[in-house]
Amino acid sequence: MTTDTQTRTRSFVQALNEALDLCMDAYPEMFMLGEDIGVMGGDFGVTRRLFQKYGAERVRDTPLSEAAIVGTCVGAAMVGMRPVAEIMFADFLGECFDQLVNNAAKVHYMFDGQFKAPLVVRTACGGGFGGGPHHSQSVEGWFLNVPGLVVVAPSTPADAKGLLIASIEDDNPVLFLEHKALYSKKGDVPEGMYRTPLREADVARQGSDVTLVATMRMTTEALAAAETLADDGIDVEVVDLRTIRPYDVDTIVESVNKTHRAVVAIEAPKMGGLAAELSATISEECFGVLDKPVVRVAGLDAPIPFSMVLEKYVLPGRDDIVSAIRSM
Amino acid sequence: MAVHVDTMLGLYRDMWMIRAFEQGLEREFSKGNVPGMLHTGLGQEATQAALAAHLDATDAFFPDHRCHGINALAEERHAGTGRRIMAELFGRATGVCSGKGGSLHSANPKVGNFGDNAVEGSYMATVLGVALAYQLRGEPGVACCIIGDGTVGRGEFHESLNMAKIWNLPILYACVNNGYAISTPVAEAHASGDIVDMAAGYGITCRQIDGNEIDTAYLAVADAVAQIRAGNGPVFLEFKTWRWQGIFSGEFRPAEEVAYWKNQRDPIKLAASSLLATGEVTQDELDVIEAEAKDEIEGWIGFAMDSPMPDPEKATANVYVGWEIEAR
Repeated sequence: MTTDTQTRTRSFVQALNEALDLCMDAYPEMFMLGEDIGVMGGDFGVTRRLFQKYGAERVRDTPLSEAAIVGTCVGAAMVGMRPVAEIMFADFLGECFDQLVNNAAKVHYMFDGQFKAPLVVRTACGGGFGGGPHHSQSVEGWFLNVPGLVVVAPSTPADAKGLLIASIEDDNPVLFLEHKALYSKKGDVPEGMYRTPLREADVARQGSDVTLVATMRMTTEALAAAETLADDGIDVEVVDLRTIRPYDVDTIVESVNKTHRAVVAIEAPKMGGLAAELSATISEECFGVLDKPVVRVAGLDAPIPFSMVLEKYVLPGRDDIVSAIRSM
Repeated sequence: MAVHVDTMLGLYRDMWMIRAFEQGLEREFSKGNVPGMLHTGLGQEATQAALAAHLDATDAFFPDHRCHGINALAEERHAGTGRRIMAELFGRATGVCSGKGGSLHSANPKVGNFGDNAVEGSYMATVLGVALAYQLRGEPGVACCIIGDGTVGRGEFHESLNMAKIWNLPILYACVNNGYAISTPVAEAHASGDIVDMAAGYGITCRQIDGNEIDTAYLAVADAVAQIRAGNGPVFLEFKTWRWQGIFSGEFRPAEEVAYWKNQRDPIKLAASSLLATGEVTQDELDVIEAEAKDEIEGWIGFAMDSPMPDPEKATANVYVGWEIEAR
């Protein structure tokens, strides 16, 4: 993060709103579209007041047409615009999967560089609030296998702002994941324009005994678990991934080479997802220095149920991380 | 004949270019010189020539999988020769996408070609963004989306028509109804065999025309493009036509149907009859046009065959803008 300006306390939602506001002001080629992002300001208030400030042409409400929303982004980006879409819930990405996977991620490649797709698709993901099976999923694993796509996932308000600005300015298509459990989280946020670099993980807590790689809500859980484990005399290093695809292998490897132990903590189901990917890379790159096999803390292999009691059972949390590290 | 004889002669020549292109391609495909799959526009030459005649390099068209002819004509008209489309279909380094796209993904924005997409109908969402960009920037461009009848089954068809209407976008929808989606007849696949009915349901200016009569098609496209450029919003044209190509395993349609379309409704024969009936054109002149078109296409095939294959290491170029990915 490069800034010498003042910081203020802001929520994750406010930080995102600042990023959008600053970019709308700076980039006339930027516009936003999505369901209820106009007068209403978005389902979670991320676009609040931007319709009033920038007008209906640049802050466009749409029908419930996710494929058309993302398709519009792709087409506009192909002719030099810088669109930012809001997909109300990440679970709805299935409706525009083709646009993201076959168009946004491929127009630069398959036409051999003749087009770019500088678009951002923001979406609210993750569980923990009783949203049920279709309003709670962690979807990053769906997109891990898509070359050309960038997947960004902040865990702090400051990074939310810096990463969103960097994503809007980047010439690649970015899927920007906003975990709902973080929306009300507050933190220090610098004023004005600044960029948190893409593809760079953040060592959110220095430690020497075990590397704990996490993202979004699980970074928060990881930091809490690290405090608990500190009381046991276990010094945990927390690596916040920040960009999920392509991710920062170097920072992870450097950390594991120091600690000789690795745990990955991801909210999505364990099978075939980000936890599996990170575990495989750490095993490949650091096998010679690992004192123990890599451990995955992840969601159970089930959809996210509605009742809070059931949901809590399925989703991983700080206690699971603490147990996993204690048993290493 | 409502079109001037000189214009008709030009269109007659364009139709022969399309036919010679596709027949040359079929021949080379059968010899194993063209990789992948082959879908030809044989029988649909009038529709394609009419569309190509009215699209400027500053417009954008999304061709369907049978549009080699439009792609080639656009190259010829705006870049001097269509041979780089041919080379692309042969997977050569000199192709418009350096061999990365092939028949189903040929694009060149310099001539207005925004690329086919092998997920039929996917670009019905993309076209919205191009048109919206033109509208927001006050540019006169028309975004043209060429689709087959099968695409009507896609959700994007309906999302696109709806949004084009509510946003009054400068889009020309050109639906080439050739009677079948691979093997499925239109009447079995769609609620209305007249696709224009569906466009009418969205309140879009629409018209059904004989896609095998070049003068009718030419004038219909001219009128539609003029309306769109005047800011009157989207226009939907349904061209009733018939494709010569059967399915991969061969001909599946009744012999009488095949004979009728090939003998009595061949767009090139129909145009020749009209031209000869004026008394201003001789059969010899038409024969020269045909021979010259075939010669030109053979030159393009020779160019493609003589062109080098791409450097294999280029396979990892342009996955991301500005980021290299790991080579083999």
